[in-house]
Amino acid sequence: MAYVAARGGENAIIESEQLFHDLNGPLTAEKVRVIMETVPYLLDRVMGEASLYAPELAALAIAQSGGELYEAALLLRAYRTTQPRLEYAAVTEQGEMLTVRRISAAFKDIPGGQVLGPTLDYSHRVLNLGVLTGEGAVRHEATPAPEAAQPTYPALADWQRKVGLLPEVTPDTRTGHSVPDLTREPLLFPPARAHELQGLARADTGGLLTLGYSIMRGYGLIHPTVNEVRLGYAEVNLTHPATGVAFSAGRVRVSQAEIVTEFAGDSKTPELALGFCATLGWNEVKVIAGGTLDMNMQKAADHGEKHPAHTPEFVLYHTETVEASGFCIHFKLPHYVTFQSALDAMRQVRGNPQGVNLPGSEVPA
Amino acid sequence: MSSEFSQSEWLSTLTAAPATEVKTLANTVLPQLAAQGELDVVHNRTGLVMLPYRDTVQGTTFHLGEALVAQGQVQQGDFTGYGVVLGRDLEQALAVALLDLALQQDVAKERIFAFMRDAQAEQRQVTDLLLRKVESTRVQMETF
Repeated sequence: MAYVAARGGENAIIESEQLFHDLNGPLTAEKVRVIMETVPYLLDRVMGEASLYAPELAALAIAQSGGELYEAALLLRAYRTTQPRLEYAAVTEQGEMLTVRRISAAFKDIPGGQVLGPTLDYSHRVLNLGVLTGEGAVRHEATPAPEAAQPTYPALADWQRKVGLLPEVTPDTRTGHSVPDLTREPLLFPPARAHELQGLARADTGGLLTLGYSIMRGYGLIHPTVNEVRLGYAEVNLTHPATGVAFSAGRVRVSQAEIVTEFAGDSKTPELALGFCATLGWNEVKVIAGGTLDMNMQKAADHGEKHPAHTPEFVLYHTETVEASGFCIHFKLPHYVTFQSALDAMRQVRGNPQGVNLPGSEVPA
Repeated sequence: MSSEFSQSEWLSTLTAAPATEVKTLANTVLPQLAAQGELDVVHNRTGLVMLPYRDTVQGTTFHLGEALVAQGQVQQGDFTGYGVVLGRDLEQALAVALLDLALQQDVAKERIFAFMRDAQAEQRQVTDLLLRKVESTRVQMETF
């Protein structure tokens, strides 16, 4: 691809940036604080796609970009590249996460039960217009139960394995730097499962939804059922460098989904099969769509299917937030040389339909 | 080392305590700590911690993403004080590292433990309240 250097636009560029910020109002610490305190799910989405848990900086990125989420994710990813990796936390197990929401659409009675947690799933989708006139400003206060919910819940998949509904698995013993890492290694196909799950975790929410929805509606190998959706807080468990003592450096918001289908195993012993997706922050649409894609990609690997949304190469390449949005907006950059070249070729063909590059066929631009 | 709180408990509790209060506490302990001998700041920087996660389908470990942290590491003789907090607050991380160093040497132990009792009680109260609100959303399934 060829570009041409455009000269004479320096002042226009400077002023365009000024105008952007001018129209968005001043960027202040107060604005960042308000964003941080009022739109946690927006922060979660940006942090998940940036693959960096940093609520204060996510709020700054949103404020600085005027709420343009692809710019915000890019700002966070760019900041991330300036920081050294200091440590690897201990592996978070599902059963250790402080859980505030856990539901299953497949089983009513699951070990530990179901808690709806914080959700708008069952609310009326009606704008509270009274807020705008000062009449509807209500502070919602949840009612605490006399007893606390249990902080952690076992993995539903563990129970399903115990009762023979799922095949046994051997847990991965890799930790820390031995776990495959997309930020340090190229994505090769077929991908390592660790790469695939990391790719889904940092993927664009809209991209996963689009591809996930395509297979939910008409192009899927399975009908997805939510085995479990879980929102919670994962401890960032580190180790003291001198004493080796483990401790928590804090908690991060995490969401995850398991998607289940009954079409696995063989004709003699049918089994359930699961798809999985997890991400930083609370983002249910992303993990349900991602888990559905994971399920289809696993099935497709067994059946040799080649629908784009069943193919890891298609899914992972085209839902990479920064690469996809960056490639899309790069088309705004001057393409004068390539476009002019195409125009020249078009004129040559028009001027000499018998063939181009023949003596006398050159047409002045 | 003391028995009331393990090192794991004090590091986790101090990390989750309000930053301003931890810094104030560390400032009050610092003169006593400095009297113990030469004190070196080995690291006080921001950086990333990668968060591995377990997939329940195949048991695969994968990287969920990174968290921005501030890290403090101090050295006094054979003792290493260490603190890591989420975010960019270098002073908070250094304060936790200094308090860790103090506790390992039984310096200002009672004052720090008194702070920790309150902090831990408050942290438990916050978690307990959250979980009681969560319990209110428990679904009582009826089987037909």
